[in-house]
Amino acid sequence: MSGGLRVTGLDAAYARGPQVLFGVDLVAEPGRVTALLGPNGSGKSTLLKALVGLVPSTGAIELDGERLGGLDLRDRARRLAYVPQRTQLAARLEVRSVVELGRFAHREVFGRLGDEDAAAVERALDEADVRVLEHRRFNELSGGEQQRVLLARALATGATALLLDEPTSSQDVRHALELHRSLRALAARGCTVLVVLHDLAEVRRHADRAVLLDGGRVRVAGAVGEIVRADHVLATYGVELEEGAGLGYRLPDASAGGDDA
Amino acid sequence: MSRSHLCWIVLVLLLVSGAAAAMLVGAGDLSDAALRERFLVLRGWRLANAFLSGAALAAAGVLVQGLFRNPLASPSLIGTSAGASLGGVAVLLAWDAVLAGALPPWMPAELVLPIGCLVGAWASLAILLGVTGRDAGMITVLLTGFILSSLFLSIVGLLSAFAQERYELGRAVVAFTLGGVESAGPRHALLALPLVGVTAFVALGWCRHLDVLLSGEEEARSLGVDVPRVRRWTIVWAATLTAAAVAIGGNIAFVGLVVPHALRSFVGELHGRLFPAALVGGGAFVVWADVVTRVIPTTSTIPLGVVTGLVGAPVFLVLLARASRKGRLA
Repeated sequence: MSGGLRVTGLDAAYARGPQVLFGVDLVAEPGRVTALLGPNGSGKSTLLKALVGLVPSTGAIELDGERLGGLDLRDRARRLAYVPQRTQLAARLEVRSVVELGRFAHREVFGRLGDEDAAAVERALDEADVRVLEHRRFNELSGGEQQRVLLARALATGATALLLDEPTSSQDVRHALELHRSLRALAARGCTVLVVLHDLAEVRRHADRAVLLDGGRVRVAGAVGEIVRADHVLATYGVELEEGAGLGYRLPDASAGGDDA
Repeated sequence: MSRSHLCWIVLVLLLVSGAAAAMLVGAGDLSDAALRERFLVLRGWRLANAFLSGAALAAAGVLVQGLFRNPLASPSLIGTSAGASLGGVAVLLAWDAVLAGALPPWMPAELVLPIGCLVGAWASLAILLGVTGRDAGMITVLLTGFILSSLFLSIVGLLSAFAQERYELGRAVVAFTLGGVESAGPRHALLALPLVGVTAFVALGWCRHLDVLLSGEEEARSLGVDVPRVRRWTIVWAATLTAAAVAIGGNIAFVGLVVPHALRSFVGELHGRLFPAALVGGGAFVVWADVVTRVIPTTSTIPLGVVTGLVGAPVFLVLLARASRKGRLA
């Protein structure tokens, strides 16, 4: 199949810095949530940035059968949305204005927000559960709330592929579950979702496939059950997997529609 | 009524009242029917020049603050004000030494001075881009701009010292470097109007790029913004607006810094809203500052830059302290 995100032989290095990624091959299929795992410094964030074009890279990146290398920035932004781990946005913008920034690549120079743009913004506000924050100032929100607004901004782009860098790291348990539910709904709509996660239990519960990075190389990739396994975890993280430990969480049936954790 | 609407009403009232005061206040008796029309024409051009220089400086301030994602930045940070000043002073000296006799009579000093400012602003820009390269980081651009600014102002100081050897020239150089619109006439206004108008219109088209740039360079790029291109062109628009303002009224301090910062609390941070408000607000601020120079009873004219500095610096300090208390400076 040619849909989704296909990466072949990707090398990446920061300008005047050391090489971080070495020959990465990766497939993230549409309709599935693919988790990107690995220890600190293994190149997860760099890989996402290389895919978005923020870090210079060589190798082939294809999205839905089209090479991304040949696209200009606006075309790329319309196809591939990125939610960074931390934002540099510190302005006193209203949340709605921040989400509207996601429509930048769709608008003309002096063009106002069109019907299609407005509809995308409305949908994104609901899907990322930030409707209630719509008129708050972005810089006055908590880290978790800001993260959800950034997700809404990414959703507003209307991109078919979504790359997220540790989106649940600042979320409380309820919002983390709701975020996973949003990602699942996006995948169900045919989007490609590639998400960096640290918590292996979270990966097991919410991802379909996983790619395990180690030292800038793909150690192993496949169905989650085959990746989050004692042998891979020990080899990559140097820790033993303890099955059945820890708490589980689920959204109440009324709001969750059966999401369990 | 929203704060933004209220702000626009206040801005228009300030401008209209400032324009009325600028026409009615000043040396010369309007009750003298023979001279009334002449006084009003002179004051009208002075008003137009004050508005244009204020509008251009405040608009340039919005662009530079957006570019550096720093509401406390100013056009002087990238060395363009100093470059324009140097160009202006250099032209004044050259005019005195050689140009006055060599140029045709239809090319008077007031026409050559703006050209000098433009050349100075553009040269400072070319040097800045030449030294930093196209893809330099913000800190590199800021530091280089700061160093260039210091260098240009040192040369301005040196040239001013040379100029003092001749009384008239020395006076002209001091008046130009302190800033003022009292001697700016129709030629200044007619030269600056299309420059400020066209540049402001084009720059307005880049405001949404600057909005996205508030998220930082990486996020802006991921949302489709060609950051180096936006940075280059924004510097060009800011430099042109600054040069036009300096050409009309010399170095009028604090307008580009204070006006956008003060307006931000009322119209918000989106550049498409802030930029037009700064054009009107900056114009109104300098029109009123010019009125103040006329009503303070002194034997000599108070330079406009002194009034904007006296008003602007304390306002800026208050804004700075407020931002610091709210932890917005980090």
